[in-house]
Amino acid sequence: MNASVSSAAPPAATTRSGPSFGRVVAAEWTKLLSLRSPIAIGVATVAVTGGLTHLFAGAASGDPGFVPTRNLTDALPLAFIGPLVLGVLVGTGEFSTGTFRSTYAAVPRRVPVLAAQAVVTAGFVLGIAVLTVGAAVLGILPAAAARDMTPDLLGAGVPQLLLGSACHLVGAALFGLAIGALLRRPVPALVTAFVVLLILPLVLSLAGDLATGPLQASTPGATPPGTAAVNTVETFTLVGAGAVLTTPDGGGLDGAPELGVPGAALVLAAWVAVPLAAAASRLRRRDLA
Amino acid sequence: MQGGEEAGASRRGVVTLPRVLHAEWTKLASLAATTWLVVGTVLAASSLAFGLGLFAGPGGAVTGTSLAASGSLLAQLGVLVLGVLVGAEEFSTGTSLTTFATVPRRVPVLAAQVLVTAAVALVTGSVALLASVLVTAGARRGAGLSWDVSDPETLRAAAGYVLFLTGAAVCGVGLGALLRRPAAALTTGVVLFVVVDQVLAANPGRVTDTVRALLPGSGTRLFADDTRLTALAAGPGPGPDLGAWGGGLVLGTWCVVLVLLAGYRLVRHDVT
Repeated sequence: MNASVSSAAPPAATTRSGPSFGRVVAAEWTKLLSLRSPIAIGVATVAVTGGLTHLFAGAASGDPGFVPTRNLTDALPLAFIGPLVLGVLVGTGEFSTGTFRSTYAAVPRRVPVLAAQAVVTAGFVLGIAVLTVGAAVLGILPAAAARDMTPDLLGAGVPQLLLGSACHLVGAALFGLAIGALLRRPVPALVTAFVVLLILPLVLSLAGDLATGPLQASTPGATPPGTAAVNTVETFTLVGAGAVLTTPDGGGLDGAPELGVPGAALVLAAWVAVPLAAAASRLRRRDLA
Repeated sequence: MQGGEEAGASRRGVVTLPRVLHAEWTKLASLAATTWLVVGTVLAASSLAFGLGLFAGPGGAVTGTSLAASGSLLAQLGVLVLGVLVGAEEFSTGTSLTTFATVPRRVPVLAAQVLVTAAVALVTGSVALLASVLVTAGARRGAGLSWDVSDPETLRAAAGYVLFLTGAAVCGVGLGALLRRPAAALTTGVVLFVVVDQVLAANPGRVTDTVRALLPGSGTRLFADDTRLTALAAGPGPGPDLGAWGGGLVLGTWCVVLVLLAGYRLVRHDVT
C-alpha cells in the first residue's frame, strides 16, 4: 500500500506541478490583473489621451491649414508615462513586497518568470495602446466635424503613425519592465527610466539649440557638425526612434543617418532587448535578495 | 530630590520642534541614499553643464548665465527624489508608526521634514551651481561669455537656481507625504514639473500658455536669463507675463499647497 502510493505519486507530481512556460504566463497574468494599479493606469492613460487630443485638436481647428490627423500623436509624450510606470511596477513589485521568494521557489530557473512578465506586460499594454490610439482618433473627430472635414485615417502614412504610436507605448512598457527587473527597486528604476525617456530628449534639444547658433544657421544647405552629432545621437535614442515611428513621413533629422521605419523599429527593439538581457543575466547569475 | 527627577524626566520627554528637527536630521543623514543623491545630483548637474558647454560657440543662443544653470534639467530630478523619499519612505518601510507614536501631533514631523529637506536641497543646489560655474569656465572663455556675480542678472539667476531646487525638493516632500508611495509621488512630481509642460509647449495657445505658466516648472524662470524672460513674455501665445519672481511665486504656491494638503491628510486621516 505504502509502496504503491510512493511509487505512483512522483510521476503524477512531476507532470502536474512542472512550471511550464504557459503556466508561468498564466500566473503572471493573474498577478497583473488582480492588482488595482494596472487597471487604473490603463484607464488614466486612455482618458488623458482622449481628453488632451480633443483639447489640442479643438485649439488647432481654428487654423486655416488644419489637418485633423496631425493632432493624433500630440498627447503621446504624456501617454507613454502610464505604460512606462506600469512596466517598472511589474519589474520591481515582487522585489519590494517579498513575493519574489515564493515566485522563484516555484520557478527555480527564474528566467521564464521574466519572459512571462514581458509577455504579459506586452499583451496588457498592447490592449491599452489600442484603446489609447482609439481614444486619440475619437478625440480629433469633434474638431474635424466642426470644420466639416472627415479625418483621412487610411491615407498618407496615418495607419503607420497609429501603429507606431501603439509600438511606442508597448516599447516604453517593456523598457520600464527591463529597467525595473534590472534594478529591482522602484525609485532608482523610475529615475533611470525618466532620465532616458524625458530628460535625455530635453538635453539633446538644448544641445541642438546651442550647436545651431545664428552664425552657423546663416549658411543654408550645410548642417553644422555639432548639430549633426546631436541629431545622430537623438536618432538612436528611444524617444528619437519612437518619433520616427510616429511622424507621418518617417523623416530623419538633419545630418543624421536615415533609419527609416524598419531601422527605427530595430532601434526601439534594441532598447528593449538589451536591458531585458541584462536583467535576465542578473537574475540567472546573481543572488535574488 | 524625587520631585526634581520627575520634573527632569518629564522635561526630557517633551516633544519640541527642535527635537523633532534633530530626529529628522538624524534619519536623513544616516541614510546612505542621501549622500549618494546629493553627490549624484551635483555630479549630474555639473557634468551636464560641462557637456552642453562643449557645444557653446561664439554668437550662439547661450549666455554665461543660462550655461551655468543648464544642469538644472537633471538637478531638479535629484532634489525631487530627495524630497519624495523624505516624505514617503517612512510610510513604505513602516517607520511612520514609531514616528507618529512619538510625535502624536504629527504636524511637527512634516514641518521638520520640510525644513531638513529644504536645507539639504539648498546646500546641494549651491554646490551644484558652484561646480557648474567652475566646470564651464573653459567653455565660457572659448565662447566669450561672462558669468559675473556683481551683475544683477547673474546674481538673480544664481539665487534663483538654488531657490528653484529648494522649492522642487519641498514639493517632493509634500507629494511624498500626500501620496505616501514613493513611486506614485515621484511620477506625479515628474509629470507636473517636466511632462505636462513639454506636451503643452508643443501646442501653444491662450489656454495652454496660461496653464504652463501656472505649473511648478514655472519656477525655472527664476534662473532664466533676461533674453529668455523677454522671449517668454512676448511668447508665441498670449500667456500671462510672470517675470522671474512671478515664476518663483508660482512654485512657492505649489510648495505651500502641497505641504498643506499633506498636513491635512496627516492630521485628519489614518497614518497607515
